[in-house]
Amino acid sequence: MLLICGTIPQADAGLVMGEARFNGSKLHVGNTEIPCTQGTAALVSAACIVASHCRINAPQVIFAGDTGSGQGSRLLYDYLMKNLPQLSPDILLLHYILPVMGLMKKVSKVTEKCSKKPVMIADASSMYAAKAAGLAGQFDIFTPDLSEMEFLADAEAIHPAYISHHLFRAEIAHIDELIEAAYRQKSMAKTVVVKGAIDHIVQDGKITFTLDRPDLPQLEAIGGTGDTISGMVGAFIDAGFSHYDAAIKALKANREAGQYAQATPATKISQIITAIPKILNHN
Amino acid sequence: MIFKRTKKQARFVGGGLVLFQSVEEAIAAEKVLRANNYDVKLVAPPPQLRKGCDLAVEINIVEKAGVERLLRQKDKHFAEILPVKGVGELLDVVKVKYFADACMVKAGNMKLTFDKNTGVILNISGGGCPDIPYLHLSMVDKKITDVARPKDKGHTLCALMLDRAFVEALEIFRKETN
Repeated sequence: MLLICGTIPQADAGLVMGEARFNGSKLHVGNTEIPCTQGTAALVSAACIVASHCRINAPQVIFAGDTGSGQGSRLLYDYLMKNLPQLSPDILLLHYILPVMGLMKKVSKVTEKCSKKPVMIADASSMYAAKAAGLAGQFDIFTPDLSEMEFLADAEAIHPAYISHHLFRAEIAHIDELIEAAYRQKSMAKTVVVKGAIDHIVQDGKITFTLDRPDLPQLEAIGGTGDTISGMVGAFIDAGFSHYDAAIKALKANREAGQYAQATPATKISQIITAIPKILNHN
Repeated sequence: MIFKRTKKQARFVGGGLVLFQSVEEAIAAEKVLRANNYDVKLVAPPPQLRKGCDLAVEINIVEKAGVERLLRQKDKHFAEILPVKGVGELLDVVKVKYFADACMVKAGNMKLTFDKNTGVILNISGGGCPDIPYLHLSMVDKKITDVARPKDKGHTLCALMLDRAFVEALEIFRKETN
């Protein structure tokens, strides 16, 4: 079972839990309709599409309503600390949750009480918290973009807003240096999927795959195109693919969906998500 | 002066410090933050970070935007908010990329893209803190001159990075339309 945890931009939503259902345009969890926007909603929508394509169960989801105050995030951390052993997911994907180092440490610790330690995936702020708390080695997969890779390479930064200037000036051509630095200071998960103009898969500190076609620089502008990759990676792993193959399939599907949708900088993530089934069915 | 530490306070590690000129300011700020559900702790700042007094309030540095706004709203004086480790200043480098009719401004992990002709915000991407989807919903498809600054509505460091991109984008738009 794939369990996805994150937030939705509704301050008073509390916790919304259950199996996710995506019908091609609308995302539901239980009786709650979730706007399919940038963030965890986009991630879950893409994961649902892959699950449907692979004929496996849809992901289980725990959404917390949070517009940034952190109250919903704290509810979510608390719920996970109390209930993860009972849930014992095969894969735990942590996403947009206010980064609180102490609480992330506790959640990570609780996973040891699951019947089998889940495959641990972190993206967005959950990845920030995992790295800042020194927990990167506990995670199987991180999915940073280039600026987040710079953050992983900065030994002292506890958020991408505080990375050193010389690292932010780095371009994709220097990614091998960023990877080496991040790996040296143990800020890398076992597999790291770097999303960018050139996508990279890094395993145990070595680049094992790159992808730069189709070349769609406009995807960087579209909020949610990284979220969809992370969601697809989680769902492909749930369908039985290796971490490496899941990452390759997700990266390829995302670019091809962008091409199919004839993406421009004004394209919304819902348009890319709508194109994903067509790409998966074609390949 | 003796400060009683609860177990919860002792465990909290937030990575950020609010620095003050006086002990009274620190105590008043801690009270306001705690009353507004922030996890905080009174601590002694390291000597190199001291700004006037030997008491600081430790916060979750990710919540810098919300903490700063609350203290200003409540008229609580502070000298500075800094991370405990690493560079003390927020990243202030921005990168600009042009598409046919659009301009993308990137600050740290945040990117804001607007239509060069109309000023409409086309997309916001990057980031990872939970106020970003909220800011995305409240800003996208609106004209850049008509929306509130992200730092006035957001709570986190991602919101402050988006604010840097927003300010730069607004300046570019104004220059291009004048």
